[in-house]
Amino acid sequence: MRSSYSLQVLSSSFRNSVVTKFTVTPVWLWLLNMMVVSFFTMFFFAALADYVSNPDVSVEYVVIGNAVQSVAVTTVYSVATVPGIQKHVGTLSSVASTPASLFTVFLGMGIINIIGGFAAAAVSMTYASLLFGVSFASGNILSVASVMVLACLSLTGVGMMIGSIGLYLRTSEIIASVVAYIGLLLCGVNFPVSYLPEWLQVLAYCNPMTYAVEATRGAVAGAALADLWEPLAAMMSLGVLFFAVSWFAFRLFERLAARRGTMESF
Amino acid sequence: MRPRAVVAAFKQQAIHFISDPQWIIPSILSPLLFTAVMLMLYRDLTGPVVLQAVLGGGVLGMWANTLFSSSYSISFDRYNGTLEPLLLSPSEITDIVAGRALWNALIGLSNALLVFLVSELVFHTEVSLLDPVMFFLTLVLTLVSLAVIGILLSTAFVLSRMGSVVASMAEYPIYVLSGALVPITILPSGLQYISYALPPTWGVDAVKLAAVEGYQSMMGADMLVDIAMVILLTVLYFLIARFLLKRIERRILETGSSTVY
Repeated sequence: MRSSYSLQVLSSSFRNSVVTKFTVTPVWLWLLNMMVVSFFTMFFFAALADYVSNPDVSVEYVVIGNAVQSVAVTTVYSVATVPGIQKHVGTLSSVASTPASLFTVFLGMGIINIIGGFAAAAVSMTYASLLFGVSFASGNILSVASVMVLACLSLTGVGMMIGSIGLYLRTSEIIASVVAYIGLLLCGVNFPVSYLPEWLQVLAYCNPMTYAVEATRGAVAGAALADLWEPLAAMMSLGVLFFAVSWFAFRLFERLAARRGTMESF
Repeated sequence: MRPRAVVAAFKQQAIHFISDPQWIIPSILSPLLFTAVMLMLYRDLTGPVVLQAVLGGGVLGMWANTLFSSSYSISFDRYNGTLEPLLLSPSEITDIVAGRALWNALIGLSNALLVFLVSELVFHTEVSLLDPVMFFLTLVLTLVSLAVIGILLSTAFVLSRMGSVVASMAEYPIYVLSGALVPITILPSGLQYISYALPPTWGVDAVKLAAVEGYQSMMGADMLVDIAMVILLTVLYFLIARFLLKRIERRILETGSSTVY
């Protein structure tokens, strides 16, 4: 009974977010934005790698990393900013006054961004193959696709955890930016994690993105899913952990915000 | 132009910023990230190429702030319901956007300085400038040229609520096409022509000529040519932006569509 209610909330929140998103921005512009940003991000770092000519970092290395990065930006950042946007447009109190759990509502609203993450992954991999000369000839396409789907889900957990803070603070956008950008520096997208100081490497290995990048590079090189179980298990474990933390964080910040009257404060 | 309107818009933007300065953080993060990536890729942190990376990162810092602050300021008017009174006031919208862009440019300069500072403190790049006076002058010129592109993009925000998507699409192309971090000579020739048409490309070149000993101009130009091109293109972009803003302002006043959602 309760699970069917949660599914209903999830579904209506998803529908609501789709209507809101595409009323303001048409689908074609949303897709164009994703394609332009993905292309120029990839192009920028590929050009940088080509110019610097570091023997450890080939153009292919950077291009695959940035394909995964486009997924992270769509999932982590977009999901994290959902509660902040509700606060900004003045609908957060109304949503909080319903019997639905805020965690479920915002997860439902984030589904469109998870779908966006899949689309970003597909677009980026197409660029990688057609424009940047990444060869998938020996790659395992099924593994690449599976890793991308699992990465989207795991990274959504990170986004949800950051988003919960938006209930209490003025906005979650600032923290989302910090985590998304600093996270990208720490996860081996553009250079090996071993380049980082040791204390930062510890942080890198707490980031599901690090394992997503490692698994994607393995899959493009031809590894089957079974061969990638180590990074995938680490990534999924962290994803589940972040989802669990975000569930508690939503409850905590919801209570704190209600008690201190900060739900709509700016 | 009405200088009083420009000054008032400058002050208003300053008050907005001071009351909520945290919004500088998102605009400084991506330039810091890009500079850090470039410095991490260079294993040897000495020599002129590293100085170019740091300077380029500084320019990116100015661009990110100018782009988002200047163009989004109109979006916030839309959210807050102040766009209609703004359009009904006797001041031209160009004056208001220009005043705000000037404040944002000033803050953009602090973004650039922050990139230099972080590079110095974290990466110990030991940046030294060839001609500090010319460096500062060309940096300010580049900043103004970036601000003018911000004004031009703000036309999209006045015209449509979808302007924010246009702005987010404009962020990376300028990073690539201005030659701030990666020389435009490694770009495909078609893209190089677009680079030549952008004022910051010449500004970045001038900044690097003023700062880096032995730097070879990306366009084979000398300092005077670079400065002349920045000024020429900046004025041209400003005139285009002013023309477009006037046309758009008149059109939305006629159709009453300024805040239609």
